[in-house]
Amino acid sequence: MKYLLKHIGLYLAAAWASLTINFLLPRAMPGDPVTSMIARMHGKMTPEQIEALRKAFGFSNAPILQQYFDYMTHVLRGDFGLSISAYPEKVSTIISSAFVWTLLLGIVTLILSFVIGTILGVIVGWRRGGRLDSILPGLFNFLGSFPYFFLAMLTLFILGFLLKWFPLSHAYSDYLSPGWNLAFVGSVITHLALPATTVILVSIGGWLIGMRSTMVGVLAEDYITMAEAKGLPEWRVMFQYAMRNAILPNFTQFGMSVGFILGGLILTELVFAYPGLGFYLIRSVMASDYPLMQALFFMITLTVLAANFIVDLLYVRLDPRVRVS
Amino acid sequence: MDKTTVPTPYNEKCSSPEKRPEGGRSGEAGFFLRMLSQKKAVFGLTILLGFILIAVLAPVITPGDPAGFVGRQNQPPSAHFWLGTNGQQQDVMRQIVWGARVSLVIGFTVGALITLIGLVVGMTAGYLHGLADGLLNVFTNVFLIIPALPLLIILASFLSPGTTTVVFVLTITSWAWPARTFRSQMLALCEKDFVAAAVVSGEGILRIIFVEILPNMMSLVVTVFFGNVVFAIGADMGLAFLGFENVTTVSWGTMLFWARNNSALVMGTWWTFVPPGLCVALVAFATTMLIYAVDEVTNPRLRSEKEVTNVLRKYKVSSHLATPVVRKNAD
Amino acid sequence: MSRKSFLTITVFLATAMLLSACGQTATPIPVATATTAAVMATTAATAQAPVAAPTATAVPFKPVFLSVSMEQQSTWVRNFNPYSPDARIPAGQGFIYEPMMVFNKSSGELVPWLATGYTWSENDTVLTFNLRQGVQWSDGQPFTAQDVIFTFDLLKTHDALVNYMGGTLMNDEIASWTAPDDHTVVIKFKTVNVPSLYVISNTLIVPEHIWKAIDDPVTFTNPTPVGTGPFTEVTKFENQIFVLERNPHYWQEGKPYFQGVRFPAYPDNDSALLAMINGELDWSGNFYPDIEKTLISKDPKDLHYYFVGGDAVMLYINPALKPFDNPDVRKAVSMGIDRQQLVNVAMFDYVAPLTGAGLSDQYKQWINPAAVAAATWMNHDVQKANEILDSLGFAKGSDGVRRDKDGKKMSYPCSSPAGWTDWNSDCQIISNNMKDIGIEVTVDTPEENTWGDMVMKGQHKWSLGWPSGGADPYNYFRSQMSAKTVLPIGTPSNENWNRFVDPQADNLLDQYAKTADPAQQKDIMNQLQMLFVQDAPALPLYPQVDWYEYSTKNFTGWPDKDNPFVPGAPFDTPSFSPQALILITAIKPV
Repeated sequence: MKYLLKHIGLYLAAAWASLTINFLLPRAMPGDPVTSMIARMHGKMTPEQIEALRKAFGFSNAPILQQYFDYMTHVLRGDFGLSISAYPEKVSTIISSAFVWTLLLGIVTLILSFVIGTILGVIVGWRRGGRLDSILPGLFNFLGSFPYFFLAMLTLFILGFLLKWFPLSHAYSDYLSPGWNLAFVGSVITHLALPATTVILVSIGGWLIGMRSTMVGVLAEDYITMAEAKGLPEWRVMFQYAMRNAILPNFTQFGMSVGFILGGLILTELVFAYPGLGFYLIRSVMASDYPLMQALFFMITLTVLAANFIVDLLYVRLDPRVRVS
Repeated sequence: MDKTTVPTPYNEKCSSPEKRPEGGRSGEAGFFLRMLSQKKAVFGLTILLGFILIAVLAPVITPGDPAGFVGRQNQPPSAHFWLGTNGQQQDVMRQIVWGARVSLVIGFTVGALITLIGLVVGMTAGYLHGLADGLLNVFTNVFLIIPALPLLIILASFLSPGTTTVVFVLTITSWAWPARTFRSQMLALCEKDFVAAAVVSGEGILRIIFVEILPNMMSLVVTVFFGNVVFAIGADMGLAFLGFENVTTVSWGTMLFWARNNSALVMGTWWTFVPPGLCVALVAFATTMLIYAVDEVTNPRLRSEKEVTNVLRKYKVSSHLATPVVRKNAD
Repeated sequence: MSRKSFLTITVFLATAMLLSACGQTATPIPVATATTAAVMATTAATAQAPVAAPTATAVPFKPVFLSVSMEQQSTWVRNFNPYSPDARIPAGQGFIYEPMMVFNKSSGELVPWLATGYTWSENDTVLTFNLRQGVQWSDGQPFTAQDVIFTFDLLKTHDALVNYMGGTLMNDEIASWTAPDDHTVVIKFKTVNVPSLYVISNTLIVPEHIWKAIDDPVTFTNPTPVGTGPFTEVTKFENQIFVLERNPHYWQEGKPYFQGVRFPAYPDNDSALLAMINGELDWSGNFYPDIEKTLISKDPKDLHYYFVGGDAVMLYINPALKPFDNPDVRKAVSMGIDRQQLVNVAMFDYVAPLTGAGLSDQYKQWINPAAVAAATWMNHDVQKANEILDSLGFAKGSDGVRRDKDGKKMSYPCSSPAGWTDWNSDCQIISNNMKDIGIEVTVDTPEENTWGDMVMKGQHKWSLGWPSGGADPYNYFRSQMSAKTVLPIGTPSNENWNRFVDPQADNLLDQYAKTADPAQQKDIMNQLQMLFVQDAPALPLYPQVDWYEYSTKNFTGWPDKDNPFVPGAPFDTPSFSPQALILITAIKPV
């Protein structure tokens, strides 16, 4: 319990820090979006309206502490205000529409790369020194050495543009409307294929290598020798004995990775014009849309915190040592 | 840049305290000798040194301003322009050579800064117990939890684009992992007999840290350093791609930015984007190999594992038939 | 990311327009007297009224869709409020809502639209619009003069609604607007302001019966718009695409000739380019590098483009920065700049560099040949530039860089906002060019807001920028040399960042605003150009382009070089006139 409380305290501190960074950054730099908006409407706005707009955007001439307090209370009420680049749309509306796509892309790529990477890791670890072992880790390492967007753009160009196997952008065909029908689901899958493949390709390596090294450790244990000595089939020893014991670190890593889904796909979404949160983050950053940027950043932080917390809970359940201390 | 599969050297499993069984001083010469016997290390070092040489000798290899306008845009490689010209009428070869400077400087500076901050924070926290450690620890953990990539982008967007900005934001967002790793290593080492002995024999704090503890963390320091070099080079590419570098300075990242900006893919001007991408990949791959080599040399379990595998391979015995049993070194 | 400048400039240009429109003096048009104006208008109405004749049905309607890429747009947000402070959907302008008259930049004329014509009377203080009979809103309600009155009232009460009529014009210069009957709008002026006809007639009219129920029109997102335009029905709206289908009650019989318009969102020019090559786009307003090779060569039969030079890109060298208070030094710098190279690298030779006083093709009828001949400092002449700098005593140091009068190195930053890549590379070229004349220029790319803050406050050293625009060069010169556009350094100003004043220019500009005589106007403009050439208040470089590419695969009747009946950009700058209306009611499916 003490362990959990300690961690909750930590998460609160992190949430507070992320909110504060978001509050301070825009105020530390010259020129704000309200100024540019006033400039754009030069002579069009009465002082009262300027004041109202500044207030709506979370900017005001009030003392900084007062502003900080207002900002925090708004955020706690879940009110991030109105977007500037898409004024007067509510920030929350924009985020919710993009959320789904990032979640889909994130979950699919995470699960697939985890499963494929782990299984490959088991096989490679089991037959270390074998042909696969001499090829796969090196290959995935090499792939991972390329800048991600470089690979993504090459893939998009070759598979999408030259060979026309996959669509070039967006989350589903422009000619369809969302609905639970075959055509739409199929379209979502074909649009997902290319971005997902590139992400999986570069992230398999991590899982593979992680799994391989724990496998190597586990294989040194007596119970594996014992199992082999008993004459159990190779695949049973490999998966039921070795993998089962070696997978824990990868599981932990998996839990942590869930948290990074929302923030980790920014470049993917940009290259493939996939309408997710990362896309909006870049857009808000480019357009100085601070309210949207703040909300996105806070939301990404919250997801990371939530994922961490779930991992903590699982740990308390799984690891008796934590429970005792 | 978020997806580079660096074998996170500061992963807990790598920093298990039993890594270095003996005091390190006598082992240092052996360390380098063993490194040189590693194929991976030789491969990595050769490539890395090659690129460093290219960067240093840039004015000799390709004299002239890398941002200079040399002729008609988008010329394919020729005897005159070895790698052709880009959409900005610049010499790609010259840009690759000079661009190595920026990319490597960013990589090594960020790597060094992150390692240094990590060491200072981590070791301070590890050495001081109690409240100070607790505070530093909370501080580190908060930075660990806040998602780095979005923070990176937001920070970069507020600062004037340029090399200093990139170095600054990369360091700010990435020092926490090393700090945490160094702290736990420090804690583990503090419980070792030879440290306790040093404390009892009245050695000063600085002497204990620099003579007794630091040498024993050397392999970890090296892997953290190189890991962050790879990370920084990759992340710099991403930031440049997003336009957070000053796009008029020549680096591999800005080369890719301009290639994209000039629709190089559609134009089919492969010579403008393949070379910088390949160079980054080579440097990153070489550095990763170096990390593996360091890991294998310093991690006895991996080392003996490797030796056994080699022996087995020599006798053409498939390793999975006979599971090598390598026991953990007893503490 | 890339080529962002286009979009942002649009916004700023709009501001500049807005500014000038709400000043005391607006753009005069060549109207001799009130009566002739009325005659002209009526003639125009009869000659050009786009009312569909019965023969229009000769063009068979086809239930096909036009796909258009308006600009770099990551995702759409459903906001069809044409007066929203930051309207994200420019489509509202050229598709859904219509004005009484449409200003056509190509011909320089006002095309009758919801009004069949206008008349001036009582010494140019009363402006009367005659509205078209039988126009219906897309929900079937009749369009009447009350809607016009309501719209004007709406804009007057809500200052935050972005429009070109508000401010001084509405509050101080116009006495009243009334509707004596359902098809007449009468506007009475307190002071003579003939040129305000432009902004008044181009104001988009919204339906009273819908908008009167809206509590806060500023934050109203108008999700299901009701308009008089050709495409009003939102049949699909998603983040990545929306579709407008034809107005069932459109007043131009038989038009539009096709079912609807699809607006896919392309986050960058590359994805729009790929879509264009793949035949997924019919109409595009994006920048494409080396367009002959990247786009046209992929399908020379159907893919086309037509670029016209628009407002200038200027190099603003702050006269507050010594020794640039001396016009000769500014001119020497100008001679050091290789404009042809700028156009070549940044614009792929799509346009020619500017000459003379910096007036581009859009003002070609105003260009003074004498000014072009006099402006030798607009030509690339390194030798002359060096001679001037030498004669002024700026000796070169051992590093090859000149020293100013205080013995300081002549080294200055050339600023352009981060992400405006064409401008960034312009600065790079200028920096390269300046080496030849012994001046060191560093490329400075501050973050966009920081840059805007700096130039608007007049705190830049060297910076790229734009001038104000409009139907004639009046605003251009006003934004470069008039005391009326000067604010103190440190106070943000949209115009005249250099804070440059020539009293002679103010004198000329005042005269210009008062005269309605075309000959006299031309004469004043000629003098202004000579004055500009003499002063060199800023250095014009090359004209911006309103990007326009189209495919004849599915649609024909596009404006092109041989028949430029209207500017082709789907999203035009400056956008006070919804010119796209003319194009989309003209093109026909194949």
